[in-house]
Amino acid sequence: MTTSPRVLVVIPAHNEEESLPRTLEEIRARAPGVDLLVVDDGSRDGTAAAARRAGVPLVRHPVNLGVGGALQTGFRYGMEHGYDVLVQLDADGQHDPAFLSTVLAPVLEGRCDVCIGSRYVSRTGYRAPLHRRLGMLLFSAVVRLAIGRRIADTTSGFRAYGREVMRVCQHDFPADFPDAPLLIALARRGFRLLEVPVEMRERRAGRSFYTLGKQLYYPYKNLVASLMAWLQRPA
Amino acid sequence: MYFLSRTQLIVALGAVGLALYVLDLVRRRRLSEEYSVLWVLCTVTLAVLGFATPVLVWLTDLLGMVWESSTVFAAGLAFAMAMLLYLSVRMSRLGAENQALTRELALLRHDLERRCGTGGTGDRA
Repeated sequence: MTTSPRVLVVIPAHNEEESLPRTLEEIRARAPGVDLLVVDDGSRDGTAAAARRAGVPLVRHPVNLGVGGALQTGFRYGMEHGYDVLVQLDADGQHDPAFLSTVLAPVLEGRCDVCIGSRYVSRTGYRAPLHRRLGMLLFSAVVRLAIGRRIADTTSGFRAYGREVMRVCQHDFPADFPDAPLLIALARRGFRLLEVPVEMRERRAGRSFYTLGKQLYYPYKNLVASLMAWLQRPA
Repeated sequence: MYFLSRTQLIVALGAVGLALYVLDLVRRRRLSEEYSVLWVLCTVTLAVLGFATPVLVWLTDLLGMVWESSTVFAAGLAFAMAMLLYLSVRMSRLGAENQALTRELALLRHDLERRCGTGGTGDRA
């Protein structure tokens, strides 16, 4: 009998004390078999305390490293503790743990190395503001140009990664924002991407990682990083 | 030794002064040898252009510049740009190293807390 694969759900959290407890509760109720890890990315509120109250393993960055930095910490942790699959899920309640198995299954079944829970693959209720939608279209086009296939939701933070991806990404992480550049870099390294439809909800509390200043800087940085990810010779 | 203009003399003396100051910073270990290389190159070049007027005239002709002073300022600007680019590269590397250290520290602290069974209160000490 083979042992069942070990799954780690990584929740990057930056000042999410309000929504984190509910998110953790929901995951435990929906997916009792998975292990959790909260990466507190330099929060100044009670995020760490909330994770501890819930009895969830916690890694705390003493300073803010950004979503990509938090995710990479998750990869390191996942490798060190021998997990087979890592699922990335937002702390703010946007990602419904009911879809955990939807995102997880394709990686577990070996159908892909990265599975992206996408808002746009099928008709889900989500409507983004216009500038966001334009951004999505742009980066979807950039990814398509770079890797020759369409990924509708490049910014989705609801993803599952296989162990090989974890192994590569723990040391060699392409960008601060784990969006289009990460997907391009992974595809260029020969990893198979797959997109599955999930429904997303409104965030419960807290601020988005993408604040106004970043919304101007983000497209530029993401474009440059995408180009670089495409130009880089796969290691 | 002849000077084309008062500006040339000022630049030349300034460059010597700056060179001495840079060397003194290295001597007092306030500036690492690595960073001093570009500074020394810059100040020595400017001093040479300042004091050796034939060299300056020759270089100005070579570059097709109209005024000798332009050559001096162009050299200074080129060094400033090189220095800024070099610093940006170093900053990027420092940022990456810093992030790796932060991550390592966070993971070590997690291990330590798990072994000692102390989770703390979540308050910042």
